[in-house]
Amino acid sequence: MVDAARQPLIEVKAYTEVEKVEGFVGNFKVTLRERAKYVRADRCNGCAACAKACPVEVPNYFEMNLAPRKAAYIPMSQSVPLIYNIDMDACIHCYKCVEACGALEAIDFSMEDKVIEEDIGAIVVATGFGHFDPTPMTEYGYGRYPNVITAMEMERLNNSAGATHGMVVRPSDNRRPQRLAIINCVGSRDKRYNSSCSNFCCMYAIKNALLLKQMNPDMDISIYYIDIRTPGKGYEEFYDRAREAGIKFIQGRPAEITEDPDSHQLFIKSEDITLGRVIEHEYDLVMLNQAAIPQPDQDHMSSVLNVAQSPGGWFMEYHPKLRPIDSPTDGIFFAGACQGPKDIPASVAQGSAAAARASRILHSDTWQIEPTVAVVWPDRCVSGKGQACGICERACPYGAIDYTKGLSAEVITAKCHGCGACVGECPHDSITQLHYTDAQVLAQIRTLLAVEPEKKILAFRCQWCSYGGADLAGTSHFEYSANERGLRVMCSARMDADLIYESYRLGAGAILYSGCHPQDCHYITGQVAGAKRAARLDKMFARMGMTPGRFRTEWISAAEGDKYARVINEMQATLDKIPESELQAEIDRLKPEMEKKLTKMNEIPGVEEAMIQVDFIVNEMQNKAVTV
Amino acid sequence: MSEEVNQPKYIGAMPEDEPRIGVYVCHCGSNIAGVIPPDQVVDFAGSLPGVVHAAETMYACADSGQRLIKEDIKKHGLNRVVVSACSVRMHEPTFRACVAEAGLNPFLMEMANIREQCTWAHGHDREGALEKAKDLTAAAVAKATFLTPLDMINVPVTKKALVIGGGVAGINAALDLAEQKIPVVLVEKEPTIGGVMAQLNKTFPTMDCSI
Repeated sequence: MVDAARQPLIEVKAYTEVEKVEGFVGNFKVTLRERAKYVRADRCNGCAACAKACPVEVPNYFEMNLAPRKAAYIPMSQSVPLIYNIDMDACIHCYKCVEACGALEAIDFSMEDKVIEEDIGAIVVATGFGHFDPTPMTEYGYGRYPNVITAMEMERLNNSAGATHGMVVRPSDNRRPQRLAIINCVGSRDKRYNSSCSNFCCMYAIKNALLLKQMNPDMDISIYYIDIRTPGKGYEEFYDRAREAGIKFIQGRPAEITEDPDSHQLFIKSEDITLGRVIEHEYDLVMLNQAAIPQPDQDHMSSVLNVAQSPGGWFMEYHPKLRPIDSPTDGIFFAGACQGPKDIPASVAQGSAAAARASRILHSDTWQIEPTVAVVWPDRCVSGKGQACGICERACPYGAIDYTKGLSAEVITAKCHGCGACVGECPHDSITQLHYTDAQVLAQIRTLLAVEPEKKILAFRCQWCSYGGADLAGTSHFEYSANERGLRVMCSARMDADLIYESYRLGAGAILYSGCHPQDCHYITGQVAGAKRAARLDKMFARMGMTPGRFRTEWISAAEGDKYARVINEMQATLDKIPESELQAEIDRLKPEMEKKLTKMNEIPGVEEAMIQVDFIVNEMQNKAVTV
Repeated sequence: MSEEVNQPKYIGAMPEDEPRIGVYVCHCGSNIAGVIPPDQVVDFAGSLPGVVHAAETMYACADSGQRLIKEDIKKHGLNRVVVSACSVRMHEPTFRACVAEAGLNPFLMEMANIREQCTWAHGHDREGALEKAKDLTAAAVAKATFLTPLDMINVPVTKKALVIGGGVAGINAALDLAEQKIPVVLVEKEPTIGGVMAQLNKTFPTMDCSI
């Protein structure tokens, strides 16, 4: 901590929040809000005179509210930076602190939040984790029984700098406990709250048990556990040490804690799996080893950073094995528990790994980004012909399109992220996206629907989420109908209505229109544009009398392999329910409607020419299918 | 900033050259070949218009697989490559680099995902998986027919890092970056850095203090 403050190249901005992240790798523009401390950093010397003079006491969150602090405070004596803070919610404006500060004149009640903009090349996200609040688990009585405490409360009781100067006492009577129980997996590995394992708590329980045993060798300590998980280096040996020290390990998840209301003694009722029977033991103090959960503001940070969350709410890495540090956005990296619960050695290692990943970029003068950007055909843009339009400019989430009436629109390449929203929205087909041109995507559609199109489920997927979801379905061997045919664009915003019409014109049985969940979109609001278009299409197809379910919109994250498989299987079930002749009749009936929508498709540069060539491939596929 | 960015060349809608496509169908050991016979996909792909060469390979990503592709590009004068193998999330960079080493523009390579999105998802429908693998390969061939060479876009880099969160991971990342002479802004929402670690007493497995 102190090293970070001492390092001249690190500017520590505490009491500061990230409000906005814009831009792209090498060129992020970050808006920070430095909250007003009402104490001037350039004058405060950390002498504590203000805190001594302050008459207001409030619970200190840092001490898990076990000890008070003043309204003029630092959370702990080793705070970095060592600058006092006036808590305006608690302050009674008596100005005693101003008096106490005297000639330093560090206290300034006129201070306001400061909004700062920073130009940044790469970002390391290390926002950590939160603690599960066991209050809803009424069977353990946390909040009702004073002597049931959480792990973090134990931590502050046990800490020499903490509320009791390291003396562990029962909150009900300040007596030192003789019999202590630690219950593991409180809120973790529990389908009611968090089904995953919190990773470090087994070791954490053993650590606390050993520490308490060292202080008081006569203390009777039991750890209730489901499984003991100690896979780290030196961890199993640590567990052995605890057993040798006489700590009892009881396999079983306690069903209930009851309390004698007079003595506040606690009784744990549990199954002991080893003994094969139900047991009940008395304790002076019970520590609940609470689950690690995502930060309370993880959802908010997820949308500020435009990064997706895995099931359970942790930030989602680019690839769970091969790129565990990278976010899907180039230039943003994860370190520590924000990506999933981690112990200290793993968090430190990830911090270094994230620094190494980021420094590849930060040591370069330039960085390469994919050229899958949008390009305008100037001779097709109606604006250049004097017509008012500007739809592309409004569709772009990045302000990357320069629209001036009378001039054809222009894409500012450095700002374009290549989502294809403008391509999908342009009603005059005047924009295309490199590497995902209309000719290229149509060529894929035609080949995927070359043989028995009525049996096929054509799945349009975005590169970042639903393509990843389909990958995960396969990696997890979640089986789904092999009639599915997938194709990839960068974002659901690129899924032009023409592509859907063409697919139905060719006789597609069903179409899945899929992308990310709105808060996960890689392109800020790309998904919103895609979702609006999908809703329009859905209504239109319903009016045309298309059987419900033949067009389906689903938002599937890269973590939802099970959902991808389920959706495809449900679509297959929908198709199976429609008698063959009825489906064919519907396809034939809707074909002219689709053709009407597509009269201008062949005007798109390259499409007509390309489709002649594609039809050679399609014919070959159809001939082969007949001979088989 | 924008003057430092190379603009993509205005690219015609259609490639100027006649496609000479090479198709590589990967066994991936038994991951693909255990479900479908890759040689049947090769036979199918080999007859598609535009394809001048089709071959199977045990591991396309292995050195030997990549060498085969690179040699074939020269031997058969390939100007497009289709790799029918795994996910683009896994190996698109690998095969782009591979064709680039043989002098081809990296964007003239297209992948068909016949592993994650085919054999692994249809292990109990071998016939369905085979038909799908053929279709996915054909779609990649069709797209490859119209691929045009593209240049990566170079953007300038601001040599400054932002670390969000002053816990043990964030502090360590900030220190590692600063020691490499990279300026860092370390943002912490609480009044002090330290995170959860600063609240802990001793820490396992060494039982040393946490601050």
